[in-house]
Amino acid sequence: MTSPAPDPLVVVTDLETHFPIRRGLLRRRVGEVRAVDGVSFSIGRGQTLGLVGESGCGKTTVGRSVLRLVEPTAGTVSIAGQDLRPLGGAALRRFRRRMQIVFQDPYGSLNPRMNVRQILEEGLIIHGMGDAAGRMERMTAALDRTGMPAVAMARYPHEFSGGQRQRIAIARALVLEPEFLVLDEPISALDVSIQAQVMNLLVDLRERLGLTYLFISHDLSAVDYVADEVAVMYLGRIVERAPAATLRLEPLHPYTIALLSAVPSVDVRRRRRRIVLTGDVPSPARPPAGCRFHTRCPVAEAVCREIDPPATSVGDHLVHCHIAARELERCGGNAGAAAEIMAATVAAAAPTPVD
Amino acid sequence: MPLLDISNLVTAFHTPAGRVPAVDGVSLSIDRGKTLGLVGESGCGKSVTAMSILRLVSAPGVIESGSILLDGPGGPVDLVSLPEPQLRKVRGGRIGMIFQEPMTSLNPVFTVGDQVAEAVLLHQGCSREAARARALEMLRLVRLADPERRLDEYPHQLSGGMRQRVMIAMALACEPDLVVADEPTTALDVTIQAQILDLLADLRRRLGTAILLITHDLGVVAETCDEVAVMYAGRIVERAPAEKLFRRPLHPYTIGLLAARPDPDAMATRADGTTVRPRLTTIPGMVPSPQHFPPGCRFHPRCGYAHGRPGPDGPACDGGVPELRELEPGHFVRCHYAGSLGEPHAVGALST
Repeated sequence: MTSPAPDPLVVVTDLETHFPIRRGLLRRRVGEVRAVDGVSFSIGRGQTLGLVGESGCGKTTVGRSVLRLVEPTAGTVSIAGQDLRPLGGAALRRFRRRMQIVFQDPYGSLNPRMNVRQILEEGLIIHGMGDAAGRMERMTAALDRTGMPAVAMARYPHEFSGGQRQRIAIARALVLEPEFLVLDEPISALDVSIQAQVMNLLVDLRERLGLTYLFISHDLSAVDYVADEVAVMYLGRIVERAPAATLRLEPLHPYTIALLSAVPSVDVRRRRRRIVLTGDVPSPARPPAGCRFHTRCPVAEAVCREIDPPATSVGDHLVHCHIAARELERCGGNAGAAAEIMAATVAAAAPTPVD
Repeated sequence: MPLLDISNLVTAFHTPAGRVPAVDGVSLSIDRGKTLGLVGESGCGKSVTAMSILRLVSAPGVIESGSILLDGPGGPVDLVSLPEPQLRKVRGGRIGMIFQEPMTSLNPVFTVGDQVAEAVLLHQGCSREAARARALEMLRLVRLADPERRLDEYPHQLSGGMRQRVMIAMALACEPDLVVADEPTTALDVTIQAQILDLLADLRRRLGTAILLITHDLGVVAETCDEVAVMYAGRIVERAPAEKLFRRPLHPYTIGLLAARPDPDAMATRADGTTVRPRLTTIPGMVPSPQHFPPGCRFHPRCGYAHGRPGPDGPACDGGVPELRELEPGHFVRCHYAGSLGEPHAVGALST
């Protein structure tokens, strides 16, 4: 186990969220999609945890389960020392002011029939925050923080570009003065030149307001830039977790190694051999036995097909992989040396790319 | 002559709000067996350029002028003026197409085998059996797992990566000279994207097919293309061999796009474990809408190097439209000041 972050604001333990698969006339339960299947992490106050993974790995469901926008099947989530699980109805609603979410699609997440003022004010009214004048003050401040003029309040979402809408969505979250924000692919729908604007804004806001983020994205370089710590998810599980720079420079899990190598880079100096994984991600309704990655892993051995790898950690670097655990032991816990061996082994075993 | 030679293409949409020139004087050429990357942000006109090549621009869009010459055994033909029956032989025959969303581009009610075989039947006029055999061969070529079984499956039974392989099989079934691939990997995860890019590179080498790769992802272009054209607001602003463009971009827009990505080398960890994050360079403002293209250089309102007044070195950036100049051999730039940009200033304050 890794040591919890100092002064953790968010602590998630053994989180599971399963969705039933129902078939037939009686909608009988014939199975379940194990979208999140035993995920634990903590995020220190003012810190950002980046959650990366490919579609269907469960990263979005983690974000929603943490806020109880979907009901977790098992596990605990506590925010600022408050266990969220027993909270119901009004108590949960009151608590929600302190934790907000920004979604990927700024076209779908803002109600087109409401103007920006109504969009921002709705939460304030629900939470009984301030009188009309006080609300106006908060809304103006929130817009100002996100770089939007106060005159935007009279306008409707369709009058804004994607980047501006995302600023409005961020302002809607900020107006309630939350401590914790779940950012679910906040830049994925935006153009490259706008992505940088929104990333700068998110980093500024965190520093100015002392916010804590769970930053969910499939974009490794964005996560690497924004997050202090990065967790890599595969089929409902975290397979590796480390400080951002450690994960980038010394990845231990074969999946992380392949993922990092697959990101196309414009940097001619950084050109490395692409490790091409074969096959597709298996269905989370029927995850493979043993290590879930073994069906695509270039270095899988017999043990990987049978035994689910437990967590191995060196300092604040945690990995679930039999092979990496063995190399770490051989290297006497020197993660850098083990990472080098893992990179070479994975590259040697992966099918040779054609160029 | 090059395989495809586009010159001064203008494609405009005639909407109730007025004429919208989505592609405004684009010239491009692709040599046999080469890959040209056409990059730009949403709304820059890159997809309309692709659609114009295939003459698939739908009303109210019209190709207003320019020529698109496709070289062939009987000499070049101009796709802009080619009669529809002959054009239909080119589409899917000499030019294959791959689109971004394989789920919507494949027909959900026909099997994979039928769809790949249809292309062969239409263009090569062979028997059903021969077409089916060719379809199977194509599915093997694109390294689709278990091709015999997939032949009789429907698109919804395949994953996104598998569907994109089927699209590629269809595009290549008639051994086209050119494949137009419009964001072929944008809807895919990075590990699947790596598979598809690898496959395209391999097929290009083995079959000698030229590829026009349209994407917003500069990384994809850097790793797959021989040459790159950067589009902004309906025009090509920079064109160069990939190596040159990424080593030394010359247009302020290209420079901005490349600088907007986080650079891991610039990040450091402080002694207390916190991270030093240099602010990302941004391109202020947003892409102009084609109804309101700015005068002169269309990038000038967002450009940190723009000149407000004509000087000894060149004209004002909001005045004359810059020509696409060959600044270095093979490296073309549409900017009055490229090569001698000087120091950037605050945007909106045009320097004098």
